[in-house]
Amino acid sequence: MEQVNQEDWLDKELREATPYIDDAGFTARVLQQLPPPRRSRDLLRAAILLGMTLLASVLAYVVSGGGRFVSVTIERLAALPALWVFLLALASSLVVAAVGATAAISRERLLRA
Amino acid sequence: MELTDADLVARVLVDDDQHAFGELVRRHQSAVRGLLRQLTRTDVALADDLAQQTFLRAYKNIRGFRGEARFSTWLYRIAYNCFREDARRRKELVGIDEAQLQTQHDPQVANPGLRHDLMRALSLLPLNERSAVLLCCQNGLSHDEAARVLDIPLGTVKTNVLRGREKLKRILADWGPN
Repeated sequence: MEQVNQEDWLDKELREATPYIDDAGFTARVLQQLPPPRRSRDLLRAAILLGMTLLASVLAYVVSGGGRFVSVTIERLAALPALWVFLLALASSLVVAAVGATAAISRERLLRA
Repeated sequence: MELTDADLVARVLVDDDQHAFGELVRRHQSAVRGLLRQLTRTDVALADDLAQQTFLRAYKNIRGFRGEARFSTWLYRIAYNCFREDARRRKELVGIDEAQLQTQHDPQVANPGLRHDLMRALSLLPLNERSAVLLCCQNGLSHDEAARVLDIPLGTVKTNVLRGREKLKRILADWGPN
């Protein structure tokens, strides 16, 4: 019994030996040293990608003689049988759905982890 | 409703939310700094430097936290690794001569007496026993959790805790119940 009392006494003292340490600016110092948030890096990346896409589109428009290929392609599509147009639209929507589902699953895995 | 550690970790992972990480630091800073102060034999400045390193490393490697253990246990493991790496660089911290042992003044330990003697007795223990006693008896980790933090077998943790406690009881015999 005495042994039990002694262990209780020692455990209690050990638990109380370290009082709560005031933050005193510690958290702020840690946060100051963190790398910039990913969101700002992502915004910069998105702006660069958008700029490059616009530039490439303008370039393609000029090089292709004022975008004549667009009207030619639309004419060709219009000449296709209705079944072919339906199949093309279905395939396109399946591809978009597959990409969306993959993105959703990977985000959900991150949340679960 | 207060968010759990797991919720905050999820926010850091998904949105790189630094406010959420700040909340995690605020919640655990006292325990991590306290542990490191004991490991470094109350060298407050060194302990706080190591605590900062611990949280920065935790932020950079937060994807490595898989939620198998408590977030605090994961942090203790990083803190202990930071301490060990630093101790390897400054060999004098591990192999310190007991005669040289003059515990620096810790402002948090203002009350001399039993607590002062306990701190001193803890600092006299070899590192393996000190760290096991600190984690299990002071920070409330199970032997299994302590084994993960210290990266040693479960049986070794139990032996180190037992030996450390025996030594503490012997050193502090005058303070114990009669």
